[in-house]
Amino acid sequence: MADRVLLATLLLVSLLGIVFVNDVLPHGTEVSIEVEGKVMYRYPLDTDRSVKVEGPHGFLTVEIKNKKVRVIEASCPNKLCEKQGWISRGGIICLPNRISIVVRGNEKPEGRALDAVTG
Amino acid sequence: MQSRDEYRIALLAAYALALHGFENLIPMPIPWLKIGLANIITLTTLVLFGFRQAMMVTLIRVTLASIFIGSFLGPGFILSMGGGILGTLAMGILVSVSPRLFGPVGVSLIGAFVHNMAQLFLAYVLFIQRIEPMIIITPILILIGTMTGLVNGLAADLLIRSLKKGSDTLQNTA
Repeated sequence: MADRVLLATLLLVSLLGIVFVNDVLPHGTEVSIEVEGKVMYRYPLDTDRSVKVEGPHGFLTVEIKNKKVRVIEASCPNKLCEKQGWISRGGIICLPNRISIVVRGNEKPEGRALDAVTG
Repeated sequence: MQSRDEYRIALLAAYALALHGFENLIPMPIPWLKIGLANIITLTTLVLFGFRQAMMVTLIRVTLASIFIGSFLGPGFILSMGGGILGTLAMGILVSVSPRLFGPVGVSLIGAFVHNMAQLFLAYVLFIQRIEPMIIITPILILIGTMTGLVNGLAADLLIRSLKKGSDTLQNTA
């Protein structure tokens, strides 16, 4: 019995969480590329381009196209960042190379930022 | 620890390691998604033989698997170790505090949840330090962890039942 309640609670919390995140997080307008925690590049999401980024253990190429971002030609062994494909929000993280590519809004949409949520 | 316990831990760790390795052969739609089949062994060990043996099995399994795969002491190893230790610890506490409240499925669900949250926290503190991707991935990870935790819990439940039945028959015939 307790098992079923727990299962239902976890399913409910995760599904509500997914809906909440979708609703609250703004769609990105800017791509910021960080190497070892420092911002190296910032580009608007609506301009197509590709950038080669050097990390401490190799390089990867970031492609921006149609308001989406993806990683191509990563030099890491497992290529998880490449497999993640196109994203338009959130981020792609290359752990071995300490590179993170984050899509974020450069202005706060009114009343919908996380700061505005209480309780 | 008696030599019989050591023998049993070695055998269980070998089973866990085999499942861990087997899991890597299964193709997954999302590359970092793992079922965590080895947790079937951890959970069974915990229920049948206690917390210390379950923790030993986890430590041996994570260490040996990372040495075989070649990720020993790397970022993946730190996440596996942290998740493994805290997941096993959470399941151990749950079983010792209220052994009758949850069955193997409930314990497995809690184990999967704590394992995932521990990994997320470690990844955040040690490697990523960006809150937005963490917020996005957290509910997805809880959902996936709940489904894999359910599968592993059901499998462990079956295993525990059949092992108990086996030892009962042995005792009855002896």
